[in-house]
Parts: sequence; structure tokens; C-alpha cells
Amino acid sequence: MGTKPVLSSSEIELKAYYTAEDIPEPHRSRVNLPPGEAPYHRGFHSSGYRTKPWRIFQLSGFGKPEDENERIKFLLKNGETGFIMEHDRNTADHCYNVDHPDVVSRREDVGLTGAVMQSVRDIDICLDGLPMDTSFAHAGGAVVQHAPFALAGYWTVAKRRGFDLRKLAGTGQSDFNLTYLGCVTKQQIPTDAGLRFNADIIEFCTENLPRWVPVSVAGYNGADSGLTPDQELGSLFANTVEYLDEIKRRNKIPLEVAAKGCGGVSFRSSIHIFEEAAKMRAARLMWSDLLRERYDITEPKTANLRIHCVTAGSKMTYQQPLNNIVRGTVMALTAVLGGVQSLGVSGYDEALSIPSEHAHQMSVRIQQILQEETNICAVTDPLGGSYYIETLTAQLVEKAWQFFEDIMQEGGYLACLDSGWLHAKAAENQHKEFMAMESGEQNIVGVTFAEDDESPYEVDGFMGTDDAFDVATARLNELRRTRHETGAKAALKNLESVCRSESNIMPAMLAALDAEVTLGEIGDVYREVFGDWNTPIQT
Amino acid sequence: MDNSQKRILMAKTGLDGHWRGPTIVARALRDAGFEVIMIGMASTDDIVRAAVDEDVDLVGLNIGGHINVALRAVNSVQEARPGLPLFAGGTVPPHAMKQLQALGVEVFPPGSQLAAIVESAERLTHRSS
Repeated sequence: MGTKPVLSSSEIELKAYYTAEDIPEPHRSRVNLPPGEAPYHRGFHSSGYRTKPWRIFQLSGFGKPEDENERIKFLLKNGETGFIMEHDRNTADHCYNVDHPDVVSRREDVGLTGAVMQSVRDIDICLDGLPMDTSFAHAGGAVVQHAPFALAGYWTVAKRRGFDLRKLAGTGQSDFNLTYLGCVTKQQIPTDAGLRFNADIIEFCTENLPRWVPVSVAGYNGADSGLTPDQELGSLFANTVEYLDEIKRRNKIPLEVAAKGCGGVSFRSSIHIFEEAAKMRAARLMWSDLLRERYDITEPKTANLRIHCVTAGSKMTYQQPLNNIVRGTVMALTAVLGGVQSLGVSGYDEALSIPSEHAHQMSVRIQQILQEETNICAVTDPLGGSYYIETLTAQLVEKAWQFFEDIMQEGGYLACLDSGWLHAKAAENQHKEFMAMESGEQNIVGVTFAEDDESPYEVDGFMGTDDAFDVATARLNELRRTRHETGAKAALKNLESVCRSESNIMPAMLAALDAEVTLGEIGDVYREVFGDWNTPIQT
Repeated sequence: MDNSQKRILMAKTGLDGHWRGPTIVARALRDAGFEVIMIGMASTDDIVRAAVDEDVDLVGLNIGGHINVALRAVNSVQEARPGLPLFAGGTVPPHAMKQLQALGVEVFPPGSQLAAIVESAERLTHRSS
């Protein structure tokens, strides 16, 4: 056979088979540890999915708030076990109202990537009849500057419905990878202001919402932008360290509690089964080691890394889209073999549009079949002890710490975003991946291989509803006419002075949402106070 | 083929922030010798202005949203600079692809080969000169 080495996505050279001797120390001596013991690569609970299956958690939303509400109800009825609110990216990511010129010029795009929610009234409609008190919810706010608004909106609605914030369970996101690396927006607050927002949210949740994951670092958004699995791991922890160091510097809340909050993260589950499953194991091990070595935290509950996983959207093909049901299943299985706590499966129409109702249902069904029919929930860490998996786990940990160190050498994670160092890494990998496909080194079924059989697979893109922009415009005008203007203006003014101070932004944000201040008004304050991030790529 | 005198404008019609496609395509076009003017997220007005001011030979649109937004950009470019070729890529579902093709726009959905995109750029920029 040829002499060309076979490499994993992280460029780890793979052997044709493995034996016990391949597992490097010190990992070899950990192989016999049971799940539930530090460093937790085998999972945090010995009973695993027997006592708590993973959460079925799908990204969802489009159109008007009521359209999104209907889709979330559809998913819950079909067996989703938590819910995610997507806000329209045109407006939300940029903190614009729909009458901003950049939005008006793209009016048909509005609502295609989430419901338009410009005030607490819209968020209230989106949440109509949803079980906020008993569900684990993702309130939106994926992008950093939007998160305080989205969270405050969700919490304001909850308070108005009489729910105790201390009992509310859910997650924020405010992900730096998404905001400053993967999905760079046209306008965004600079990274140092973003760090301040996230630290504010962590402090606020620690004091007021103990069951809420304040921010969720998403390796997914680094990985689907091109970072390899080891880089995904290394950058995720380099990012987390920025938050924890800032919390430590502020010294307002116990670091252990903040660390527990930061331990809700997300990863991408891609198509290389064993490396991706090993990645989840590596992540738990690294978190436990990081807390102990850098912060002297060994408390088991804090070291419990909770992983949400999303299957790789970029692996879903435009051609022969029903093949993506198989890809989604394989990537979901991979995540589950890695022992994740929560999972979203990309729609089979991912490369064409946001998910249709049917694609969404399939994403839930894939997970239900795994949970109900395959007996996969019976045994914790089923890959544990495999010579191959244990070796890969150890190798990934080593490579990921190397990447973490590289980031530190470059001045830290934020500095690597500001300078474009991470963007260059991601772009280089993307290019390599593309060239491998182009050269035939990596076949993609239905695209570069077995590509001629298209006729039975026709699927068109789901385009949502066509009245999102008009309805949002009418509602914005109505809000301006009917809200208590003096109260709104006072709340906005207060928010601005808090933004200019070092005080926590969240109490003022909650007051602003309660006073029916709009997203665009808040965005204008940000632009005035913080200015715009100097993006290292052309946006 | 010498592409060094040929200028391609690349723009993203949506505000959705998906950069994978345009980044890879821009690099492939530069590697093939073209001068690529990347203006990122741009409105129809921005695109038309750049197409005129920069005196480009081809306009490439990355489309991530509704087809009507892209169609407006295409129509406006064709009105401002009749005969200027356009091509497009992105998450363009079949119904939208047909609408673009009807306006003479070559469309490259996800999974398209970079070689085919470069070949199209060469054909479209060299045909009139």
C-alpha cells in the first residue's frame, strides 16, 4: 500500500490499528477510572443517559414572533425537550430596528433567520403559551451585543407572568466565536466591551438566576468556520479563560460559582466519528485540568462540563439533500458516543434554507430513534477503553493545549480575534478542506462522488412567511404611539449612563425592556458609547 | 489565461454573516490572477455604486437570504451597466436559482467546484474584450 500517512482532521497521524501500548502516559493510567471520577473524560455521572438522556434542543425560528411560537410548539409537541428562540439576524445581530436603512434595503430577508423581536411585546408574543417555568430555554442573544437585550426580554416576560427568576432554567449564548470569528457582522461593539457585557451577565446570573447558564462558549462556531477539532478545543478554553480571568479581576462573585456557569459550552459534532467523540471526552478532561491548575478549583460540581452539541451544518450538502438525514444521524450518534448533554441536529435542508417543518421533525426523530430504539442510553462512555479512542483522546488533549498556548503567545484569545490571527487559521483550514474535495482526495457523496442521481431528491428551500417585515414595521409604529414615552426615554437614558460607567449593565437593561425601549434604540446607545469593532476581515 | 487586468466585484447581499463561501471564492479568484474587490455586506445601492466606480468586469454576489433582495441587486446592476456579467453563489434554493438564471446570472450553489467558478469568471470577463 501507499506510504502517504492517514491523518485525522486535527492532523494526528492514524495507525491502522491500536494496542494498549499506544495510549500515552499519563492517560494510560486513567483508562480504568470509572465515569464520575476526575478528570471526568468518561463523563460526570456514572449512570449517564440511564438517569438523564440528552436534551433534544433544536435551533428554531422565523417570520413573525407568532410564526416562531407556532414552530416551537410544533417541536415541543414532536418531542423536543427544551426550546431555542432565534431572533432575526438582520435586526438582532446589529441591534437595529426594522426601519434602519440597512434593514429596509433588505426587507425580504427580514424574518428568514429568526423572528423579528424589537421590544418586550414581540418577545411576549413569541413566548405565548410556552412552558417557561418548566422548560430549559435558549432565550436567543447568540451575538454578543444582542445578548443583554434578548436575556432581559425573556426574563422580563417571565417576571410579568409571575415566574421566579431564581427558578428559571435556560441558557444565554453571547458567543465570541460566532460574533467575532464565524459570523462577523456589519457592525458590532469592540471585543473589550463584549467581554464586559459577558462578565456582567455572568455576575448578574450568579446573583439572580442560579439555574441559568449565563454565557455559552461555542466551539461550534469556530469549528464550522474552519478550526480543526484540536483548535476548537484550545480556542474554546482560551476564550473561557478570558471570562474567568475578568471575573477574578473584578472580584465581586465567587470564582467557583462563575466557573460553574461558564461550564455550559457547545461543540460541533462533525463527520469524523471517532475523533469527534474523542473530542467531547478531551473537553471534559481539559476543563477539569484547567480549573485545577489555573484557578485551584477542584469542586466536582464545578468541574462538570455540560456540553451542547450541534451537528456540522457545513457538512450538509445542497445536492441530494435527503442524504443529509444519514449525515445528521451519524453526527448525532457521534455526539452521543462522546457523552454530550444536549443535542441539535441540522436540518436535511441546511444547505438550502432554514429548516422546513419536515426537516425539523426529522432532526427530532433522529434523536428519538437513538434514544428509544438503539439501547445507546444503557451504558455510559461506551467507547471508553478502546485503544484507539483513548489514544486519540490523549493526543487531542495534547494538541489542544498546544493551540491554547499558541493563542496565549499571541496575547490571548481576544487579541487573536482583534488581530485576525484566528481568522487566518480558520481560512487556511477551510481552503485546505476545499482543495481536498476539489482534488478528489476527499469524496463527498452526491457532490463529488455518485453525483448523477438527482431526480428522486428534489427538495426546495423553506422561505418562511412573507409578512415579517411589514408586521414588524407596523408593530414598531404602534409601540412608538402607545408606550409610555417618558418612562421609556428615562430608562434609555439610564441605560446609557450605566454603559458609560463600570456598573453592571443588566439591571438597567431589564428596566429598559420593561419600559418598552426598543432594540434599535439600545443599539444606538451602544454605537454612541462603545463605537464599532475594527474587524480584521472585510465586512 | 492572463486574468490580471480583470476586476471582479464581490459582495454579500445579506446581513447574515456567513463568510465561508465568499472567502473561499475570493481566494480562488485571486489565486487565478483576478483582482478581487471585496465590499462585504452591501446594499443594492452600494453594489451598483461599486460596480460603476470600480469599473469592474464582473460582479459576484453571495446570497444568503431572500431571492428578491438579490434580484433587486441584479436588476439595478444591469440597468446601471448594461451587459456587465454577474454570477452568484450561496444558499440559493432551486426556485431562486431558476429566477437568477432567467436574468442571465450564472449560479453556483454549495458544493460547486472552485475550478468551475474560476472557469466561469474567465469566460465571463474575457468574452467582451
